Amino acid sequence: MKASGVRSLTPQRSERASVTDANTPAIACRNLWQVFGPGADKALTDALSRSGNDSDKAAADLRENGFIPAVQDANFDVQEGELFVIMGLSGSGKSTLIRCISQLLPGTGGEIRVDGENVIGASKKTLTELRRKKLGMVFQHFGLFPHMTVAENVAYPLRVQGVGKKERLARAQEVISLVGLEGREDSFPRQLSGGQRQRVGIARSLAVNPDIWFLDEPFSALDPLIRRQLQDEFLRIQATLKKSIVFITHDIQEALKLADRIAIMRDGKIVQIGTPTDIVLRPVDDYVREFSKDVAKGQHAKVASVMRDDAERGPDDPGLTTSMTLDAALAHCMELYEPVPVRDAEGNVVGTVHPSDLAAALQVDET
Amino acid sequence: MTAATDIPAQQARLTAGAQAALITLIVGALCLALEGSAPWLVTWPKAWELPATQWVGAFLDWFLNGIKPAMRLFSDLMTYPMDAANYVLGNTPWPILIGLVTALGWYLGGLPMAALGFFGLSFVLASGYWAESMNTLALVAVSVPVALVMGGAIGILANEVPRVKVFVQAVLDVMQTVPTFAYLTPLLLLFGFGPVVGLIASAIYAAPPMARNVMLGLERVEPEIKEAAIMSGGTRFQQLFQVEIPAAVTQIMVGVNQCLMAALSMVIIAAVIGGFNDIGWEVLLTMRKAQFGESLMAGLVIVVFAVVIDRMSGTLATERKRYDSRVVWAVLGFTVLFTAAFWAWLPNPSDLTVLDPMATAIDNGLTAFTQANGPWLDALKNNSLFYVLLPLRIGLDQAVLPFTWGFQWTAMMSFGLFAVGAVIALLMACRGHLTGGLVVLILIGILETGISNLPWPFVLTGAAALSYVAGGWRLAALSVGLLCTILVSGLWERALLSLYLSGAAVFFCAVTGGLIGLASAVWSPVWTIVRPICDMLQTIPLFVFLIPVLMVFQIGEFSAFLAICAYAIVPMIRYTRHGLVNTPEEMMEAAISSGATEWQIMRDVRAPYAAPTILLGLNQTILYAFAMLVIAALIGTTGLGQSIYLALGQADVGLGISAGAAMAILALIADRMVQGFAEERRKALGL
Repeated sequence: MKASGVRSLTPQRSERASVTDANTPAIACRNLWQVFGPGADKALTDALSRSGNDSDKAAADLRENGFIPAVQDANFDVQEGELFVIMGLSGSGKSTLIRCISQLLPGTGGEIRVDGENVIGASKKTLTELRRKKLGMVFQHFGLFPHMTVAENVAYPLRVQGVGKKERLARAQEVISLVGLEGREDSFPRQLSGGQRQRVGIARSLAVNPDIWFLDEPFSALDPLIRRQLQDEFLRIQATLKKSIVFITHDIQEALKLADRIAIMRDGKIVQIGTPTDIVLRPVDDYVREFSKDVAKGQHAKVASVMRDDAERGPDDPGLTTSMTLDAALAHCMELYEPVPVRDAEGNVVGTVHPSDLAAALQVDET
Repeated sequence: MTAATDIPAQQARLTAGAQAALITLIVGALCLALEGSAPWLVTWPKAWELPATQWVGAFLDWFLNGIKPAMRLFSDLMTYPMDAANYVLGNTPWPILIGLVTALGWYLGGLPMAALGFFGLSFVLASGYWAESMNTLALVAVSVPVALVMGGAIGILANEVPRVKVFVQAVLDVMQTVPTFAYLTPLLLLFGFGPVVGLIASAIYAAPPMARNVMLGLERVEPEIKEAAIMSGGTRFQQLFQVEIPAAVTQIMVGVNQCLMAALSMVIIAAVIGGFNDIGWEVLLTMRKAQFGESLMAGLVIVVFAVVIDRMSGTLATERKRYDSRVVWAVLGFTVLFTAAFWAWLPNPSDLTVLDPMATAIDNGLTAFTQANGPWLDALKNNSLFYVLLPLRIGLDQAVLPFTWGFQWTAMMSFGLFAVGAVIALLMACRGHLTGGLVVLILIGILETGISNLPWPFVLTGAAALSYVAGGWRLAALSVGLLCTILVSGLWERALLSLYLSGAAVFFCAVTGGLIGLASAVWSPVWTIVRPICDMLQTIPLFVFLIPVLMVFQIGEFSAFLAICAYAIVPMIRYTRHGLVNTPEEMMEAAISSGATEWQIMRDVRAPYAAPTILLGLNQTILYAFAMLVIAALIGTTGLGQSIYLALGQADVGLGISAGAAMAILALIADRMVQGFAEERRKALGL
């Protein structure tokens, strides 16, 4: 699934014109704001005009006047089939952001295009229709309906559309099998463990086979072992379904493990968007660096990130490839001090790695 | 000495509480000093009163007459379901009804509930009050669905429209404080005498708990469940009826339970307007004839109904097991067969006199008991009256007479009392409790003057000061404004009388209930005994409390006081225990590992943590006391309760509504003040 990383090279600020292109992003956010407080719409407009469209100044202005800019000028695209992770601490606005995109919150300013169609200010009917056909969402505390069985929970999104009982239960059965809950169809949520409950949540969000999948900290409420198990299964499911995903988490390990691209939020603002390697090796500021401090960099960064174009190499060829992790590469050239060649997937030499660069990259934060 | 250095610092900057107490004290002292030269300071002159009750009466007469035709039409419509319910309940053979209730009990709660239903209804049958009971039940059966639909609709509407919610909350708050009898007078005018008044009063009275619980339930549905319903693509209608209401069902069932109990309670209270041969009327009738055995028997029938209805509907609000439905069919089948087989021999339930000997025995036993213990009971009653209630009411200066206390109160004694108070206050102030010292002085002043003789400027200042400390300027302004309406309406004296009796009862409940709650918290065997008593006291309809106190202590203020205490003490006990027991385990462990003794933990950890909860209990106790005060008017109280009751008898809407409003105002102010203090404590604890 991660092999589809090519898409993550898309520039984060694509031009407005590209929105209508053939490869329309699944979700496009432009200058998205969510401000809380009475009369927030007008306050935002005023603050923006006062600050001359400088978002940082406008946010400070809003805070001074007692408003809460929970999401500040968010801009990003989620490509079709991409797993886009939004990561930040509690209170950073990540949950608000996903609720804006899913229109559980109205959004105070800006644009959200889902399949090229702006959903901010869309009619209730349009939104309901959109949710029935294209969107699915998984919640941190599962959000299961306590009075319905597993099967009824999973079939509910079909029930509201008027799908007949037999048909919807048959479809529910399919997704329940997909998440490995066969045999628990008639249980009530209270009879299930946390991990099982979230499987139900996942199954329900997939019942209508949506194109776009929102997951709001889906594994945060679970024990570490169950969490890892569900992460792996989530990757397995995504490998076959290839949804466009917005995934919220506060756990950097989870973000790095799952993401095609990661957006890091702080105080309502997206401070960096990049691939896991970008985040680990090229943090834009101390805040992001702080996150990746505890991360074993060698497991995430690839050889490509420390590769040079030098032609000058030593005599040894330990067989490095671009997609090898730094850890693996280091193991291959433990005893070497001369630059070594790096090959791509087809075996062509594409660059050089200096073992000293490898060591340096793995120790960035030791100072 | 540290105290010497503390005092200047404190005087330089008085706390809000000390300031408030000081101002109140000064106003009180001024009033006392000027009593001779300016009597208008003490009693509000009659000439300054506005004929507010007449105005209210005239307006309501006009208004009620305006909507009368529509209401009469409504009441005519209501007679159809009522006649039907009456006919069905009155003509169903009693074995079938007992069987139905038993089967329902089994379905709801298995064997214990089935047994409760069977024995409960069997008792009703044996008591000979079957027909009257069925009349009562018919009223409940019609009023409850009306109340459920009204309450549910209001609750849902308030949930959907935020603006309506604020309004509905306010109306529900007010309705909670308006005394039950006050509803009856305008209804009497609208519908005339007859069962329809009871029906409508009980529907109106029972709707608010339903509305409240529906609102609360919908509000408490987890946000993620609501969001999941939205994201599933449900329309608002689908979200509400397929997800939110079913998810809130437990809370809504609590509402159904409270609605049933309120309806039953009101149907029985409505018996005072008469015109309907129901069980409440039976209690009143026998009480008036001093046939206490019969009256107690009829009262027990009411209690049995209350317990059966409460416990059975209570199972709806808990997680239910499924019971074998074959038993339901078996019970029903058996009753039908039984009825058919013994059709010719079924006794007419009204002729049953199985329990008559018991009633007679109770009567005789009671006579014997009061005769044997007469001196003791009289002493209890008279001592409480002379040494506690009377001084509180009219003050030591008037209550201490040679006839009661054995000597005459003199000006010297007043002076001595104040001197003692001043010394205590000074001592307390020196030890850093300035506010406490001032409050002691104020209390001594109240004791000397008596609550019913308090000068009005003092009451207003005191209320303002308390409100200010509890909830700031807005609450102070609200309190003074509302109290002023009572003052100018000419109901002031009666309001003070009500304040005195409910105040005395609340004080007694706070102390006794608090101690019982404390005992229940520290020693669980006490709770095993107290708990069922509390459960029972909370299930019994208000009315029934009057019977036993009347039996032993006859009509009078003391009986009313006891009835109020018996009803109002329960929340104090419950909340005190609840607050003390629920101290977080970690806090207890921290205190224990710091080496605190049991007593130190109680004083330093558990009591402060429980304070907001205990204050909420006090708040409930106050509201309960006001509710009971009006009912107790039946057995002799003075004040607003009596006015409301009299107004009902004379169909005087103006007086009834004004006195009811005055009562609601007192309750509302007390409620807001205590809530304010509780809120402050909660904030101080960071809860």
